[in-house]
Amino acid sequence: MVLPSLVTLALAGLAAEPAHVANAPSAGAFEATVKPFLAQRCAVCHNPQVKSGGLDLAAYATPESITRDPHTWDNALVKMKTGQMPPPGFPQPAASEVQAITDWIESEFARADEMAPPNPGRVTARRLNRAEYDNTIRDLLAVDLRPADDFPQDDTGYGFDNIGDVLSLSPALMEKYMTAASKVSRAALFGPDAPKPSLARLTPRTGSVPSSTVPLFDYDQTGLSLPNALYATHRFPVDGDYTIRVVPGGTRPLGSEPVKIAVWIDGRQVKVLEIDPAGVATFELDHQELFGTQGEFRTRVTAGEHTLAASVLRLYEGLPASYGGPNPSKRPVPQVPEFKPREGLPPERVEAIRRRVEARRAEKKPVNAARVSRLDVIGPYEPATGPKEASLRKVYVCGHLRGGHGSGCAKRIVASLARQAYRRPVTARDTAPLLRLFTSVRKGGASFEDATALALQAVLVSPDFLFRIEGDGEAGTAGAAHAIGPYELASRLSYFLWSSMPDEELLRCAERNTLRKPEVLAAQVRRMLADGKAQAFVEGFAGQWLQFRGLESASPDRERYPDFDNNLRLSMRRETELFFESLVREDRSILDLIDAKYSFMNERLARHYGIPWVKGPEFRRVDLTGTERGGVITQASVLTVSSYATRTSPVLRGKWVLENVLNAPPPDPPAGVPRLDEATVGASASMRQQMEAHRTNPTCASCHVRMDPLGFGLENYDAIGAWRTQDGKFPIDPAGALPDGRSFHGPEELKAILKQDRDAFAQGLTEKLLTYALGRGLERYDKKTVRAIAGRLPARDYRFSALVLEIVSSLPFQMRKGERSPS
Amino acid sequence: MTPITRKHLPRRTLLKGMGAGVALPFLDAMTPAFAAAGQGASPARLAFVYVPNGIIPSDWTPKGAGRDFELSRILRPLAPFRDDLLVLSGLAHHNANALQDGAGDHARAAACFLTGVHPKKTAGADIKNGISADQIVAQKLASETRLPSLELGCEDSRTVGNCDSGYSCAYTNSIAWRGPQTPLPPEINPRLAFERLFGAEDVPLDPEARARRARERRSILDAVGARTRELMATLGPGDRRKLDEYQQGIRDIERQIERAEKDGRDIRPTMEKPEGIPVLFADYVKLMYDLQVAAFQADLTRVTTMMVGREGSLQTYPEIGVNDPHHPLTHHRNNAEWIEKVAKINVFHMELFAHFVARLKTTPDGDGSLLDHSMVVYGSAISDGDKHTHEDLPVLLAGRGDGSLKTGRHLVYAKETPMTNLYLSLLDKMGVHPESIGDSTGRVEHLSEV
Repeated sequence: MVLPSLVTLALAGLAAEPAHVANAPSAGAFEATVKPFLAQRCAVCHNPQVKSGGLDLAAYATPESITRDPHTWDNALVKMKTGQMPPPGFPQPAASEVQAITDWIESEFARADEMAPPNPGRVTARRLNRAEYDNTIRDLLAVDLRPADDFPQDDTGYGFDNIGDVLSLSPALMEKYMTAASKVSRAALFGPDAPKPSLARLTPRTGSVPSSTVPLFDYDQTGLSLPNALYATHRFPVDGDYTIRVVPGGTRPLGSEPVKIAVWIDGRQVKVLEIDPAGVATFELDHQELFGTQGEFRTRVTAGEHTLAASVLRLYEGLPASYGGPNPSKRPVPQVPEFKPREGLPPERVEAIRRRVEARRAEKKPVNAARVSRLDVIGPYEPATGPKEASLRKVYVCGHLRGGHGSGCAKRIVASLARQAYRRPVTARDTAPLLRLFTSVRKGGASFEDATALALQAVLVSPDFLFRIEGDGEAGTAGAAHAIGPYELASRLSYFLWSSMPDEELLRCAERNTLRKPEVLAAQVRRMLADGKAQAFVEGFAGQWLQFRGLESASPDRERYPDFDNNLRLSMRRETELFFESLVREDRSILDLIDAKYSFMNERLARHYGIPWVKGPEFRRVDLTGTERGGVITQASVLTVSSYATRTSPVLRGKWVLENVLNAPPPDPPAGVPRLDEATVGASASMRQQMEAHRTNPTCASCHVRMDPLGFGLENYDAIGAWRTQDGKFPIDPAGALPDGRSFHGPEELKAILKQDRDAFAQGLTEKLLTYALGRGLERYDKKTVRAIAGRLPARDYRFSALVLEIVSSLPFQMRKGERSPS
Repeated sequence: MTPITRKHLPRRTLLKGMGAGVALPFLDAMTPAFAAAGQGASPARLAFVYVPNGIIPSDWTPKGAGRDFELSRILRPLAPFRDDLLVLSGLAHHNANALQDGAGDHARAAACFLTGVHPKKTAGADIKNGISADQIVAQKLASETRLPSLELGCEDSRTVGNCDSGYSCAYTNSIAWRGPQTPLPPEINPRLAFERLFGAEDVPLDPEARARRARERRSILDAVGARTRELMATLGPGDRRKLDEYQQGIRDIERQIERAEKDGRDIRPTMEKPEGIPVLFADYVKLMYDLQVAAFQADLTRVTTMMVGREGSLQTYPEIGVNDPHHPLTHHRNNAEWIEKVAKINVFHMELFAHFVARLKTTPDGDGSLLDHSMVVYGSAISDGDKHTHEDLPVLLAGRGDGSLKTGRHLVYAKETPMTNLYLSLLDKMGVHPESIGDSTGRVEHLSEV
């Protein structure tokens, strides 16, 4: 039995009219309501003589004349809905009057959208972005060099960095492609170039250690959850030996035993260094100074990015017995040299100084001040040389991995490389120039391997590799909307879910042309989401949608947020990553993003949240029942990136919620609006009072009346997402009301309201995901698709897989408009 | 006297090597004699080298003045270049003093060193200093070279918060200031500095390998070029626009290859591309000096600044047996052992500087050596690190400034002579004549006459 292809399904799904849209234009309402309103309220300026703002309403005498000009009327809608029109100073219509007009225009547009012929749109040829380039090289050649680290940053558009129209290719980047191609092909065939040993100083942000003179008995003995530890990420260029040098800081009481500092790579303890600060040059003779000491060791590390951590083990042990800590020091406390006054001072002054010095010496010293202040990574030494077996297998498909290539091998090798790199079947037209290149250098005396490397270089700078170009099909159908080819579909899938090239299984599906069978497509999507490569989807989509990528450059004010260290930064990011991943892996409801009562955390993050029962440095799933947390808007990552360095911003957060939860992004603020006086916030007036003053300006009020209350609902979270009930000397008032009258008190009630608007949320997430999947901004003709997809989600319990399947089965994902077809 | 050992490379030789009528900007830049058409002379270069935390004054100041002076312990590494030096005593940076601003001598010293201005005490965004002497020159000569100036450093910076007693880190991170609010932080990664000068190209190859590589690159481009033309024919305008960018890039590379082949001259950088920060501090500092030599040699810039360390530096020097961090040691309170360690660091810094001077001296430039056409100021805005004094600063000047300096002497100026007076005199010799710099009161005397 032949199953209906997804193209027919996609078209059929769109043909069905959603129930809420009327079939005929409501001409009656236009004559009765709209026309009189426009004549009475607007035509005084927008007439053929004045044409204020270039608008003459005389041209809009019929309903069709309005729907034919969405550009003008979208603009008019915003102006009316935000109270900018009619302008202040003119008689203001009642809100209900305005709403009747805007409702009519909106429903007319919705109807017109539904009636329009299906239009899949046209995705511009997409250059591989940096992540895609690196992943593709990795999967093509088993070379994990990350050559794109040297490439310039990709520009973003519509919130994502994979937008074909926005990704440009400068001559400088072309140079880098040439260089990368040569580096990569040599690494695959002959092994990576071993860099000379070099020194990397890792000084990530560390938190402040609140000084204490009382030892603890119950604490994280690994030290990994304490602010005394240092966390850094470092990219090791090749497999090799590296010297890791630990530079500690801080002090210990005199007579303490040496400190033990553990070094961890990717969470695994690789070394414990013993550092004895006794006897280091110091002015103050009454404590041990760790500054100026250091320890180092050499270890083998694999190429790639690793998380390094160095922590003080058993921080409160080995202190002098007088401090009463666990497992005290067995060292005698050394005698501090006697106080010797400078000669010639009057005796009463000598006595005063003596008393001061003695009092200071009698004082208890901080017991928890030992810390790690820097890590140096020096290397590589004895780097791995030669190619990887896996790389050779990818290239030498004849099976002669170490020489002895037969005469027919070159042809097979080139054809296989080109097929994978171009992600489609290749013809003699593709391979002939590559083979010519191979043969000519062979004739010039190059080895088989060298000639292969050169052909591979040509493959890697070919437009077929660097771009994802979709053809317009047979000449006869070039003008019309048409289904994209099976290989193009395979690439769309793999770059959507993996940010990389299709694997052999996807290519085989394309070859057999089975990807359009719904059950095959569903099975492939499930397989792909379960694959480790889907991590690229979490990082690429969620990292940009929820903006946790921005955490890397977040630098909360040190004085106000002394706790913010690199460990917390990495932990915040990890939480949101793991949370989003769980949603994908467990195929949960997308509404969990709003208010799931679970998340992932380690002790460091849990302490930040005030959740006391999470112990130890490893991440685990945590039940959030009974806490103030749950859902992405309560996660520290989102709360931090939507704050300023020195304070929270109800405006930024409100805007974030409007954009990402309620799918109602506010328009940009008009020019010349006075800024909030930041210096006075928390000092002379509360944030809320300040903001409310801001909203007395009518121009501002129309948008801020929607934005700010949402932000106020989250004011209990400070600028790095910690819970608070006070801001400076003012208590937090987390109450708010939306323009539609719904009111809330605190984040829990706010989330309940947001969840009521699940349709808006589902539609917004669909838009974002479709944008990311297609690599183009959405157009008016896509609204129909978005509405249809979002409309089918409730029946599928809002499952994540349902959303992804809907997207990959949709018209714009499956099809492409011909260049010459009518828009 | 010109030492007879100097490698002399007459201008005519250079000209002979050049293809007639070639007007490549880079090549022009490579040959200052050529660029300064008709003048025949090489352009003057100006460099400033800063060492942090002061010095041990008794080990710095030479005995005797004028021609008859004896190189001190710290200056002794420069003995081979005694005739190319001026040691300048008595200069001061009054504006590095507290002047009722309290602690923070290190921040003030670094900020004031090239500006002569008393920096505003602030940890926040409202930093305020002055324009630095190097930048006055850089702005004047901006159109002459590819880079107006080059800022290098050998210690990474802490960028947030306070660095010294309520002063913003900007004051200790940079000695070059484009304007009162615009510090120019130094590049500390030699690879990135190299790429800034010479582009991100790979390690230089021998001519044969270069030719082979050019051939290979060209054949690669030929192979993809044919395919691209074919592809273009099938594309709609949107996609074609994207592929146009690609084709443009390909054409640019083709043209580069062609130019390099036709031209036949070796325009590669005079040093290997550094991989990263060398492990040994000595290698690191020498490499950063070498980059300046390379930049001067190719006339890519005429003004450089170099921070051997940041003020308050906690650098340790295990290579010379000093394992304690630098700054705490300088507060030695007359502890002989610590004084010795500090002096060792001072000597070590000078040995590394001697490498720079030697490189300048052995690098031919126009009718002489780079050193002949350079003026290199070495010094600090703190003299005694223990007491944070800002007068009688350790200052020396290497290079002959195009013959305008009468070198080989120790000049002793009146106490409290502003350091900025020296800068005014040097800037005159660079052909830049500002009315004043910071707290300057006039020009210093005796640089050019005995």
